[in-house]
Amino acid sequence: MLRATLRSFLAHKGRLLLSALAIILSVAFVAGSLIFSDTVTRTFDRLFHSTAADVTVSPKEDLKSSVPTGETRTVPAELARRLARVDGVRSTHAEVGVQNVTIVDRHDKSVGPTTGAPTIATDWYLTDRSPVRLTSGHAPHGAGEALLDADTADKRHVRIGDPLTVMAQPGTFRVRVVGIATFTTTNPGAALVFLDPRVAADKLLGSPDRATSISVFAAKGVTDPQLKQRVTAVTGTRDYDVRTAGEQAKSSAAQLGGFLDVIKYVMLGFAGIAVLVGVFLIVNTFSMLIAQRTRELGLLRALGADRRQVRRSVLTEAVLLGLVGSTLGLAAGIGLAAGLIKLMGTFGMNLTTAEMVVGWATPVAAYVVGVGVTFVAAYLPARRAAGVSPMAALADAEVAGLGRPLKVRAVAGSVVGVLGVAALAGCAASSKTASAASLLGLGVVLTLIATVIAGPLLVRPMIRVLGGAFPALFGSVGRMSQRNALRNPRRTGATAAALMVGLALVGGMSVASASMSKSFDRQIDKTLGADFMVQNSNFMPFNQEITDKVRATDGVRLVVRERFTAVAVRLPDGKRVETTAAGFDQSLDEVAHITYTRGDTASALADGAIAMDAKFAGDHHVRLGSVLPVEFPGRQTTRVRVGALTNQEGSSGFGTQGGLYFGIATVEKYVPGGQDTVLYVDKAAGTSADQLRKNLETALKPYPQVQVRDQADYKKLIHDQIAVLLYLVYALLGLAIIIAVLGVVNTLALSVVERTREIGLLRAIGLARRQLRRMIRLESVVIAVFGAVLGLALGLVWGVCTQQVLALQGMKALAIPWGTIVAVVIGSAVVGVVAALLPALRASRMNVLAAIAHD
Amino acid sequence: MSTSAAEHAPGQAPADGIAARARGLTKAYGSGETTVLALDSVDVDIARGRFTAVMGPSGSGKSTLMHCLAGLDTVSAGQVWLGDTEITGLKERELTRLRRDRIGFMFQSFNLIPTLNAAENITLPMDIAGKKPDEKWLDQVIDTLGLRDRLRHRPSQLSGGQQQRVACARALASRPELIFADEPTGNLDSRAGLEVLAFLRQAVDELGQTVVMVTHDPGAAAHSDLVLFLGDGRIVDEMERPTAEAVLERMKRFDVIRSQFGDKDEGADTDGRE
Repeated sequence: MLRATLRSFLAHKGRLLLSALAIILSVAFVAGSLIFSDTVTRTFDRLFHSTAADVTVSPKEDLKSSVPTGETRTVPAELARRLARVDGVRSTHAEVGVQNVTIVDRHDKSVGPTTGAPTIATDWYLTDRSPVRLTSGHAPHGAGEALLDADTADKRHVRIGDPLTVMAQPGTFRVRVVGIATFTTTNPGAALVFLDPRVAADKLLGSPDRATSISVFAAKGVTDPQLKQRVTAVTGTRDYDVRTAGEQAKSSAAQLGGFLDVIKYVMLGFAGIAVLVGVFLIVNTFSMLIAQRTRELGLLRALGADRRQVRRSVLTEAVLLGLVGSTLGLAAGIGLAAGLIKLMGTFGMNLTTAEMVVGWATPVAAYVVGVGVTFVAAYLPARRAAGVSPMAALADAEVAGLGRPLKVRAVAGSVVGVLGVAALAGCAASSKTASAASLLGLGVVLTLIATVIAGPLLVRPMIRVLGGAFPALFGSVGRMSQRNALRNPRRTGATAAALMVGLALVGGMSVASASMSKSFDRQIDKTLGADFMVQNSNFMPFNQEITDKVRATDGVRLVVRERFTAVAVRLPDGKRVETTAAGFDQSLDEVAHITYTRGDTASALADGAIAMDAKFAGDHHVRLGSVLPVEFPGRQTTRVRVGALTNQEGSSGFGTQGGLYFGIATVEKYVPGGQDTVLYVDKAAGTSADQLRKNLETALKPYPQVQVRDQADYKKLIHDQIAVLLYLVYALLGLAIIIAVLGVVNTLALSVVERTREIGLLRAIGLARRQLRRMIRLESVVIAVFGAVLGLALGLVWGVCTQQVLALQGMKALAIPWGTIVAVVIGSAVVGVVAALLPALRASRMNVLAAIAHD
Repeated sequence: MSTSAAEHAPGQAPADGIAARARGLTKAYGSGETTVLALDSVDVDIARGRFTAVMGPSGSGKSTLMHCLAGLDTVSAGQVWLGDTEITGLKERELTRLRRDRIGFMFQSFNLIPTLNAAENITLPMDIAGKKPDEKWLDQVIDTLGLRDRLRHRPSQLSGGQQQRVACARALASRPELIFADEPTGNLDSRAGLEVLAFLRQAVDELGQTVVMVTHDPGAAAHSDLVLFLGDGRIVDEMERPTAEAVLERMKRFDVIRSQFGDKDEGADTDGRE
């Protein structure tokens, strides 16, 4: 039996090729993402481990804002001297390192990375653990000198002797590059500027007596945990985080991890899509192979093989396919990881492929995914194969499984479908974000499953309509192609399902993102009254100098600053909510239109007052005039009175909630190191908008970190940010489509083989090659469009429900991007044409005589 | 020996010319030492308006002859004409068009496209050509074959005999110059087979068609006007107004020759179904 299985596997290797490709793709993405993240983790673990001080004392991280506030937390530099006297301490150092700086070259261009990695200004303090060494020039002396890291110097063409402008929170200063520092280990992609330690604190933190952390080095024979214990005894844990080298490395890695996790999840998303779509392909391939081999299987049964043996034979074939696919996929995954590492290099993160880590988990995952998926996908067809009766060997049936009723599918599909629709309806009706989101997830999964199950039932009615014009347009060629697509609804359904999954995702996401864009537009139209906004495209805060420049610009009548801070509010219902609050200047009404249910802007921004969203207030039993304890970073607390309640769309979002804001004086008082994030600018009478824009742009030319935007520009900025999400979805879609195309190719190729005699007959009675190709192409197109229509319909439902969840977050507008939807349908027809290329060519090359004589 | 059906044409209907003609038609498979001659310099004329049967034992090359005459297969040497058109040397596209417009086909089995109903199958060659069928002629063909109430049926809903009748109607529908029938009764029980043969006979007698039928069944050959006997790639004999007994007697002589000289070139037969 095993020999028969092996023979059969080898005999069908051509037909299994496309299934193998689907397995290879999914395994490659799984393996690639694991190898990549292992490599990166190992590299940075090593970097952080080797560079961390034995014990690091840093300011207590109590409150964190999801929106950057521009504040740098500090510790007193004097602490370094105090800790130096602790028993077991060899030496200490007051570290100064900040990330809220912008560094520009002599052409007013930022030298910082464009990839979102930070620009870091720090003190030049060389120890045996420094990740850099001086490779040319000399160490910085005094306030006017600095070192630049070699990668940045290369990329931005900065040489020794060139001037740089450093815009730090306390103020802007100029330095001359006196040396180049080169990473001895992996450069994580940041730009680094090193200053003389004697001036760094003053220049970067605004006070010579502050530091961002204290590095403590142990004397011989003192372990890190021992040292930590002794240091903690001095510092206490109320204001400081004390970490050993290991803990510090972990914490640094975790900070970097956020960015790396994104890459990892994206890759796993790709793998997931590849697996999901690949399953359809494999199921279809095995179903078709078994249908074609019905007589052979019947013969095996007639000769005495029992059902279990037949089933095992098919599953063995699947496992073999899985093994081959996984092995090749693992190899492809290594290649993919190498490619990613190279790609990171172009973003400034220099990893070497020589240090590539293939952990034991990678091959295990690769084989589990590859073999597991194939096994699961082949299980149903295998059961069907086992069900072949010995009589099939004698019967002259064309294709088995053709006429089997779809009743079970109809029942199962409707049951799951009803549950899914109920979940989606519940989601639409729900008023709580959390429950709505989980109902949405449930509904999406259930409706997807229902559509996959019921897909074959929809084939007949839908393809009758979609291909309805074919006979009129293309005569009998059109008629035959339409009927060929209808011939085996299961097969057509499964083939289209692969495309459907990807397009449903895109449909849903595009509705959601279009709705988000429209909601933001509407909100901007409704609330934003300023002529211009000055801000960073990443919403990063900027230093005071820019605010001063804008205020001093000709034609500016009014500037309203917006500044963010992390806060924690204790609410009357006992909840403590950590979020981000905004601070505004008093003339907020002139640049924004805020709807108040109680109070007004004056009472909201008054000293000691706070405003919040009325709904949030209601949920937490807050009333106008309630007095709430508020915590600011660094354990500063105060009490504020609720001065106004607002009714705004989008009061929450970007990880904030409650729509909290107060006068900017409150922020300045409790967060003295904060920076402005947005400046709202109104023009003076007699100045045209164009003139003011020109003036502002001229004034801000030396500050590449901020841009001037009017309302239309601002909308575009928001749209672009939303679009990034969409691009990711499009990339996922691209992969799904590639595999779906493989599926269509697969189905058509196997169908062509099955219909060899029919094709021979058609050719004999005079069907031209061109007509034959068109027939197959049309069949392919109608299958692809069927998948697209089904997927988009499902996606539209998902999108509308997602919008209902977004509406609870204040994004109330619903937009359906009809342009995108039409483009996707047209695109799917193109996909159909492309998928048909090879099978059509193969069919038209078929020898007429061989085809007639085919048995 | 050159054999022409036209020279001996005292059949019921007078032959009014040559529908197809071959001169020195040779078909070889393989090359060098292993060359097998399926057809060895065959000269043949198919008379218009007659029912010609081609008979011969397995491997005699009768199917190959039909394929070459119908432009389905290429020839190794020699020339073939359909009417006045020399088809040897035509390009693939021209051959396809020729088959579509000027030749009708019936095969042993798998004659119909399973996705099309009977009516659609019948008009398929004309639909492919984008031509309107001649409705009067079509009605006549359909009524002659008794398919009027089967037109909406799919092939799977028809019996084997009915399927062959539909195939026959398709072959007739475009009023081709020549109809080739390759073992049209091979898969039918004797009653259905007789029916189909009667229809072919009717097509010649009443509709004035020209039919060439390949068969190994003497009973089937007996319905023709003229039987050509093929042996080892050559036309070895012919018989006018055949009867089943006479054909059977003639066929037995092949067996005698075979048993005397041993079986030769079994592999030269390309249709392999016998």
